[in-house]
Amino acid sequence: MRTALRNFLSPTKLVLRCGGISLSRGKSEVSGTAFALLFAEMVQYSHNRVQSVADLHQKLSELGQHVGVRMVELLFVRERNYKRETKLLSILLFVKGTLWKSLFGKEADKLDRATDDERTYYLIEKEPLVNRFVSVPRDKSSINCAAFVAGIIEATLNSTGFPAKVTALWHMGTAFMIKFDDTVLVRDRQLEGR
Amino acid sequence: MSGELFTLTYGSLVAQLLKDYENVDDVNRQLERMGYNIGMRLIEDFLARANPGRCYDLRDTADKIQQAFKLYLGVSPSIGSWNPGGDEFSIVLETNPMAEFVELPDHCLGLRYSNILAGIIRGACEMVQMEVMVWFIADQLKGDNVTEIRIKFVKRLEDAIPAVAEEAEVQSAVKPPSSTRASPCWSGFRTEDRDSQRPHCSAHRVE
Amino acid sequence: MTIYNLYIFDRDGQMLHYAEWVRKKQSGMSRSQVSPVDLREGYLTYCTNKYRLHLFETPSRIKFVLNTDAVATGIKELLHQIYTQVYVEYVVFNPMCPLSKPIESELFAARLDEVVRQSPAYASRPA
Repeated sequence: MRTALRNFLSPTKLVLRCGGISLSRGKSEVSGTAFALLFAEMVQYSHNRVQSVADLHQKLSELGQHVGVRMVELLFVRERNYKRETKLLSILLFVKGTLWKSLFGKEADKLDRATDDERTYYLIEKEPLVNRFVSVPRDKSSINCAAFVAGIIEATLNSTGFPAKVTALWHMGTAFMIKFDDTVLVRDRQLEGR
Repeated sequence: MSGELFTLTYGSLVAQLLKDYENVDDVNRQLERMGYNIGMRLIEDFLARANPGRCYDLRDTADKIQQAFKLYLGVSPSIGSWNPGGDEFSIVLETNPMAEFVELPDHCLGLRYSNILAGIIRGACEMVQMEVMVWFIADQLKGDNVTEIRIKFVKRLEDAIPAVAEEAEVQSAVKPPSSTRASPCWSGFRTEDRDSQRPHCSAHRVE
Repeated sequence: MTIYNLYIFDRDGQMLHYAEWVRKKQSGMSRSQVSPVDLREGYLTYCTNKYRLHLFETPSRIKFVLNTDAVATGIKELLHQIYTQVYVEYVVFNPMCPLSKPIESELFAARLDEVVRQSPAYASRPA
């Protein structure tokens, strides 16, 4: 019996039908080249439809968000554990570990909390993202990759109940600044209070 | 790299196109065009990496396309359904990595979800002097057992004889060898192939 | 052994890039002995008494023309390396680099220079 993960093309919720059978039947390895060229073409396409660099990054973030929503479902199903994370730190560790491993084959390098703002965290990746998404570093492409990945992270957090805004920065490599909604902090404090 | 990230990223692109264009035909066209752009570049990587050598006929080309599917998408399609003239064949995929986990909603049945592949094949072939037509004749997303792509050879693309660079632009005058038994290196095809009816890639050789 | 210069032409014969390492005044062809020596898999070389020309043409019609002194060896491998490690990596994979316009990427030029200078066939000669 085939496990089907139904991925509707509309932005509505993903419907999961899982018979407890592993999703990775004959997991095929797609070459990094194929992905790099596809991604480059997506950047070009987006680039032709926007007026500013900020708009381009927004478009790329949206493309990333579409991936993130579905990536989360895939990962939660594979863990065979539908238990949603409820604590802030747990979801951050999920992003740093499980999500990052599925995207980059490794855990993220560092997770820091902003000293001046308890809603803000930084996820840091020292190795240039471009090495994963494109063959060699070249002008601007690292920024585009980061915007796309920021979208993946943002959607991951939003769809697991931790609404946040994620922006890519240049600090010790690539840093993703994650700024959570106040509601998230409030709830987390309440959970801790128990 | 994970096939899932690739599949989801492609899905993200198709979803975006469906938002940007009003009708499904435009999306199909845009996918093909993007595929063409990708194919133009992918072929260089394939030539550089696989060092496949020249194609002498369409069967060679078919083999190389099969090789490329394995190299880039990690799948092994079969080649078959040759027409009697030998200028048309099918690539048959049991699994389509572009469309894993995808189900087409009812309002998208005219969508050729994996049309980017058609463009990639067309763009890549054009860079090696072959004009081909590529289209899907079966799609697992539409309920067929397999995904089948049809490729038809149209014609050889003749190399444009390049304009000779101006002397002033060229630091050292480099001229092709003037030996009578050689056509200029970059004219692009064997002289005996000009009259041949058999479809094949450019076979660059100076006899 | 020295490498003089390199031309890259696209499929329509348009020059995409020119790089030089030694400026040499070349004598005309007419005064030299010309002999096509080898053509296999897109590679051709001929030699005059002043210099050797190497041509590598990919099946996609990109042409690399490298001029060296008469004794340079290992050029076929170098040209292939330039194609795979420089042209494909820095031009083909750079979506900002159009394929049939002169190459403007500085990263490309830098990497090309690096690859040529690292080649055993390259040796800077005293003037």
